Amino acid sequence: MFEWLFKYPRDEFTHGEFVFASTWPQWVPVAAFVVGAAAIAFFLLRRRQMGALKLAAIGALQLAMLALALFILWEPSLVVRSLKTGENAIAVMLDTSESMGFTEGEQTRMQQAQGALGSEAFGRLGKDYALRRFVFARDASATEDYSTLPAPGAETALAGSLLQVLRQARTSAVGAVVIVSDGGENAGTLDQEQLAEIASLGVPVHTIGVGRERAPEDLELQEVLAPERTLPGTTLSARVTVRHDGPGVARLKVYDGDKFLASREVTLPADGTVTTAFVDFGLQEPGFRDLNFSLDGKEGEAELRNNTRATVVEVPQAPSRILYVEGEPRWEYKFMRRALDDDTSVRLVSLLRVSPNGFYRQGIDDPKQLQEGFPTDAKDLFKYDALMIGNVQAAWFTPAQQQMIADFVSERGGSLMMLAGSSGLGDGGWGNTLVGELLPAQLSAEGGSFHRERGAVVVTARGSRSPMLRLSDDDAENARLWSSLPEVADYQTLGALKPAANSLLNVKIGDRQQPLLVTQLYGRGRSWILATGGTWRWQMGLPVADQRHEAFWRQLARGLVADAPGRFELTARSRGDTVLLRAEFRDEAFKPQQGVTVTAVATPQSGEPLTVDLRPSADQPGVFEAEVPAAESGLFSVEALARRGDQTLATTRMAMRHESGRAEYFTVRQNRSLLEQLAQATGGRYWTVDQLDGLPEAIRYSAAGVTSQEIRALWNMPALFLLLMLLKAGEWLLRRRWSVV
Amino acid sequence: MSTRRGIRVLGMLAGVAAVGLCAVSWSQQAQEFLYGSGAKRPSEFHFTRLAYQGRNGVARGRRGSWLTDWPEAEEHLLGGVHRLTRIDAGEQGRAVSLMDEELFDYPWLYAVEVGYWYLDDTEAARMRDYLLRGGFLIVDDFHGSREWASFVDSMQRVFPDRPIVEIPQADPVMHVLYDLNERAQIPGLGAVLSGVTYEKDGTVPHWRGIYDDQGRLMVVIDFNMDMGDAWEHADTPYYPEKYTALAYRYAINYILYSMTH
Repeated sequence: MFEWLFKYPRDEFTHGEFVFASTWPQWVPVAAFVVGAAAIAFFLLRRRQMGALKLAAIGALQLAMLALALFILWEPSLVVRSLKTGENAIAVMLDTSESMGFTEGEQTRMQQAQGALGSEAFGRLGKDYALRRFVFARDASATEDYSTLPAPGAETALAGSLLQVLRQARTSAVGAVVIVSDGGENAGTLDQEQLAEIASLGVPVHTIGVGRERAPEDLELQEVLAPERTLPGTTLSARVTVRHDGPGVARLKVYDGDKFLASREVTLPADGTVTTAFVDFGLQEPGFRDLNFSLDGKEGEAELRNNTRATVVEVPQAPSRILYVEGEPRWEYKFMRRALDDDTSVRLVSLLRVSPNGFYRQGIDDPKQLQEGFPTDAKDLFKYDALMIGNVQAAWFTPAQQQMIADFVSERGGSLMMLAGSSGLGDGGWGNTLVGELLPAQLSAEGGSFHRERGAVVVTARGSRSPMLRLSDDDAENARLWSSLPEVADYQTLGALKPAANSLLNVKIGDRQQPLLVTQLYGRGRSWILATGGTWRWQMGLPVADQRHEAFWRQLARGLVADAPGRFELTARSRGDTVLLRAEFRDEAFKPQQGVTVTAVATPQSGEPLTVDLRPSADQPGVFEAEVPAAESGLFSVEALARRGDQTLATTRMAMRHESGRAEYFTVRQNRSLLEQLAQATGGRYWTVDQLDGLPEAIRYSAAGVTSQEIRALWNMPALFLLLMLLKAGEWLLRRRWSVV
Repeated sequence: MSTRRGIRVLGMLAGVAAVGLCAVSWSQQAQEFLYGSGAKRPSEFHFTRLAYQGRNGVARGRRGSWLTDWPEAEEHLLGGVHRLTRIDAGEQGRAVSLMDEELFDYPWLYAVEVGYWYLDDTEAARMRDYLLRGGFLIVDDFHGSREWASFVDSMQRVFPDRPIVEIPQADPVMHVLYDLNERAQIPGLGAVLSGVTYEKDGTVPHWRGIYDDQGRLMVVIDFNMDMGDAWEHADTPYYPEKYTALAYRYAINYILYSMTH
């Protein structure tokens, strides 16, 4: 029907460019329209006894006919570029990763793919273009035909392989790429940057999806996100994502090696396919903890290998250190110190101004520490992982010290927490300082924002999800424990929160609430405001056995230091049969260091240790990288040494779980959305294996490769004449009806 | 009901009423002190007197021994606290009894003339709870073996199993701001006028204390001394200045210790 009305297939209109073929100057049709419109108006106005409405209707129809006639006379045309047959190649990429061996019904995915490649559509493509065949899993390689396939690949690097093919195609006329795959990208190569690079090459990529899109009998533990580091005894919260195709309840269990840690039920709704849940647990023993997350299988679930994931969390042995500067003796200081006294994983070093000329220091390592007051050298301040500033005026710090505090957060990656007080936050003049800029809320400069009035603390929605504020694993009990706390002794009003800030706790005064515990990321670190100095009432107002005050401060303190990076950081990630190592070395002032040699000894769970020299990154100072072969799965530990000449500067170690080949088990379902995204970004289309008839025609209009240009005249489209007749008939019918013929 | 039995019941009711009236009167006195005239600016630290009853609810003296040296002692001392430290201290003292709801809002307590105090089991339990939560108690101005025995009688109801020990010289309470290496007996005004520094048989001063399980002082006991008088008579020409100065230093160290440990 479309082709009958418009003369040409729909694809020609989609890909073609609309032009007017007439050589008339542009003003001619405009002038003709104006003259024609004036003539219509002249003749119609002579019959004004018809009434304004009828005149307008007749006039509009006549003007439309005039415009349509001029449009036809101006020779509308379509310029269509299409691939020249016989002069272009089409790259065909067949996924040969392990997941293509999954059997669905009576066929494997590979058999479905082979069926598509042998279809009539590919036959037509083969007649018009040269087909260049590739197979890919982790890498792409050319092949003569698909009768002999390589061994199934342990990893699918869809984007990497595609880029490999497209770069090769730069030297020849490749009109399009056709990928036959289940979309099981698992090498982590398809990010927005890669997608943009693929799209920039200008070759349409058509994707043909194989494999079922739903697997109601299967549960998949799609992702586990846990902190890389936690302090002993800290409750940590891991975020798990479960892929499912139906409602139900899944039980998730967490193990540290063989030791059971926690379990929880995850309710899987009927209207979703991906469900996210949090599981809380604590780790006591220092070291690298090999955590296993496991979903109990559903009844009839055949593929259980995608129900488990493993990750490693470091529990450091040495305590983290917090420097707490307090401007005057106050109860919050005392009770906070008490709460943290028994915590061996956090050391609170405090500098308290007890008199106009005197400091009192607690938690110090040696008598000289902080003897002169607040550090004046960055390397002395940056030894700490977090900094708390209590009821101290900004003016007490020199501009250089304020700059150092800002650098402590943005460069060193530490946490800064400011507490409320009559000389703290806005009342202490922090609002207009460099430090004020990095805080998560605007501070009032007018003074009088600190109030010695009580207020009830309310946990916000975001706060209730934070493991730092967990007083119980049970949500209802957690809410009850928070709501039954005594009121805090005081609070300080804050200005508007910064755009990236979140309030975890609010304080309720009368009917209104205001933020109490606010945080935001800043540079490499994080800033916090606790807008009260009166949580001590929780300790004095509750029975001795009640540990809520202690739990609050311990968890908060641990949260402050948990993510603080060290001077020498080592990270690793798996890529197929290799592990990519990345080390970052900084000096005592946390400036990236060059002229340093970094060597690592990588030890797989079973196998010989391997020594590698990390090469300095070309674009990131202080960063060193290396690729280490790792054929076997298991715990992979690395020790690194940074040195300058013969002088050892620092050592560090890390461990990770390397899973060679397991990624393919997590492709039970076809990843259609990824294949669609790839096609859409490049101007191609997504196809299913049983509907490939339109593929050759869609490929034909590619702008890549060697193309020819044709002009299709549109003036004689039946649709235009039909419209003209309809307009005229409409006018005639109206005139008849109104008896004004 | 027989006549004799009726008389017995009426007698019991009258007794209960008398004790009740006495308690109300005492409580009113404490409340009047607490909420009397004068501004009550909320501050971080308040010099808080413990309002206690004597044995059988009988107050010693015209207004009760717990008010000894009031109000000059705290007014003078708080002036020193303002001048010598950075503590945001209330300008006037406050008072609280162990059974008051506000008790736990004042983590620092001063009890004077504790040779005449009496804590029953309920009050002792309340004091124990207060101290274990983090409260701090200073007792002062009691002298000799008889008053010691009276003090210990109630204190043992508070902590039956915790010993009262001498505070060692190395304890942080002796050094938190001032290094208090001089253990001079601080006398009351009466003793000074008598030309001695002691009262009754309390010739040897003691700085004693009760510690919690973490080795932190919960109770400081100034025995055979009268620091309250030394603060009170800071403006009395014939009270020796050296004792006042030392008493100020002890008090400031006690307060700072209580706010840091």
